[in-house]
Amino acid sequence: MVEPREIILNALKEERRKLLEHEALELIKAYGAPIADAGLAKTPEEAGALAEKMGFPVVLKIVSPDISHKSDVGGVIVGVNSKEEAIEAAKNIIENVSRNVPSARITGILVQKMARKGLEIIIGGLRDNIFGPVVMFGLGGIFVEVLKDVSFRVAPISYEDAYEMMKEIKSAKLLEGYRGQPPVDKKAIADIIIAVAKLLEENPEVDSVDLNPVIAYPDGAVVVDARVILKQ
Amino acid sequence: MIEKFFNPNSVAIVGASPKPGKVGNVILANFKKRFRGRIYPVNPKHEEIMGLKCYPSIKDLPETPDLVVIAIPAPKVPRVLRDAGEKGVKATIIITGGFRETGTEEGKRLEEEIVKISREYGIRILGPNCLGIYDNWSGVDTFFLPDEKMMRPPKGKISFISQSGAFASALLDWMAYRNIGISRAISYGNKIDVDDVDLLDFLANDDKTGLIIMYLEGLKPGRGRLFIEKAKEVVQKKPIVIYKAGKTGRGSTAAASHTAALAGNYSIYKAAIKQAGLIEAMSFDEIMDLSKILLTQPLMKGRKVYVVTDAGGVGVMLTDALTTEGFLLPRSPADLKEGLRKVLPPHCIVENPIDLTGDTDDDRYKVVLDILLPRHDVDAVVVGALPQVPGITSKLADYLAEARKYGKPIIAISIGSKEAEKFKDLLEDKGIPVFESPERAARALRALYLYSKIRGVARE
Repeated sequence: MVEPREIILNALKEERRKLLEHEALELIKAYGAPIADAGLAKTPEEAGALAEKMGFPVVLKIVSPDISHKSDVGGVIVGVNSKEEAIEAAKNIIENVSRNVPSARITGILVQKMARKGLEIIIGGLRDNIFGPVVMFGLGGIFVEVLKDVSFRVAPISYEDAYEMMKEIKSAKLLEGYRGQPPVDKKAIADIIIAVAKLLEENPEVDSVDLNPVIAYPDGAVVVDARVILKQ
Repeated sequence: MIEKFFNPNSVAIVGASPKPGKVGNVILANFKKRFRGRIYPVNPKHEEIMGLKCYPSIKDLPETPDLVVIAIPAPKVPRVLRDAGEKGVKATIIITGGFRETGTEEGKRLEEEIVKISREYGIRILGPNCLGIYDNWSGVDTFFLPDEKMMRPPKGKISFISQSGAFASALLDWMAYRNIGISRAISYGNKIDVDDVDLLDFLANDDKTGLIIMYLEGLKPGRGRLFIEKAKEVVQKKPIVIYKAGKTGRGSTAAASHTAALAGNYSIYKAAIKQAGLIEAMSFDEIMDLSKILLTQPLMKGRKVYVVTDAGGVGVMLTDALTTEGFLLPRSPADLKEGLRKVLPPHCIVENPIDLTGDTDDDRYKVVLDILLPRHDVDAVVVGALPQVPGITSKLADYLAEARKYGKPIIAISIGSKEAEKFKDLLEDKGIPVFESPERAARALRALYLYSKIRGVARE
């Protein structure tokens, strides 16, 4: 287990404002949030081995301090189902990125277990200059992109606050399950919201956190993508 | 410490002037009219103003005044503040503008200088660039608007903290015209020192304040969490109605994260308002609607509301409005119907909303309220009393006032012209808030319910 402080201090030392994907996942994991199993591979062969160990299907993503929109540069390949496919996909990603962004430094390839289908939510946090650490909750996809249907709380927060955040959004009913689906695990979501609040409270260097998406299930929730921005 | 701003024994007014229309002239006149402590005009150009001995500087005063009011041009403020510090003054109100709010380098520099001086001498500052304080009990009145331009409200239980001086004076004038009482009003301008947190702290323990209204544009950086904590304490003693201005301001424009992009300025304030247990007024009308219900009505235990009306239509409108705000309008239980049938003529509707119909008199209301209000399944009563109905007289106001003995909220709707206005004044004098529309009544009652929840009286 990596010390959360170490991840942050290391990034600051390298003058990076944004944590690398695997660092961000490690950091949020260190605060107790369940993450979709992931590992950093340095070579295509390592990616293949990691994928095999993890079990399929997996997704491969480029890890580079110089790239923030990975899909746009051919840096993401999903639905990888075998070791051979994984090696091939890793090679393709490196090739795509080298061609599209020749100047980008490549740290490696993130191999991540693909999360099973569930309800996509977004959990975030930021440091406000008046209120300090603040957390956010919303449903993913169009709910956040188009309708901006999110709720906020100023940290520190209790479980009661976290449950209220879930009740407060307009699309709250979707959390209760629809078309015969069972309701999602609200305790698991609350755990992650509280973890984000705690992360911000304990690390003044962190400016904002986006966990997008987090996939929520009737039994648990898992962070798939994490973005952590440090203060300038 | 803040106490001295409101209850000084002596006041020096720097910039006091005999010239009508001057800020220092109005302020001195205000104090002369209502303040019972010692008043010291300070102005090197005069020996005497309004019959009071005038002093060339603070240093020359025969005592250290509890409060110094400064109304002279900004560039002269630092020197006067230093004089005050040397004299041992601990509280000053700086009315003068021309500081950071101008956006100029010079304004910023002057403001930083007065902050430095205040720290050096331990002087608390209200302002600069503000109207200061209107205190109905002590007579401190630095609102530099003469009586004929801004009426002064009567004494009352409402205190008002405003980030906008202009809005503060407009609201006071508005309240005065409507005979709504005020305790203390504060306009803090640039709030370089005394801010919302300090003022809430003072008003929380002030027995002359029963309710606080806040007009807020923004808190000082880093004070948000303390504000929430302080407000949480205060609302367990008295309600705070807040109007947050600047809701539509842009969020962080070049936000680095999704969360930051979604967090407009207002969404975080909205969360903070909720967490702190403040009651948010969404419009100017609501500021007063919510204040009057919170100030006059007891807390409610639940959401069960009964409507008693003399007009079926108003009953239906009220049913819609109250339901929209989350209230339950239970069907009258069998025993209630039976009880009502015994005392009402057969053509009256005993189902909730209870309709006494257009031929009602005052007494029908009385008997119905005496049956309804003691019941454990009634949490509040909304009375629709259209005064156009011939049988309604001023006696109804007495009946409603009497019904307050049951310790449950009673509010009324009155729509119409002169008679309606008269009836409203009569009722409000007796502590029954009257609303002009079912929707406004319902939103006000919703605020009372919300506050009852915050106080732990109402459960979900």
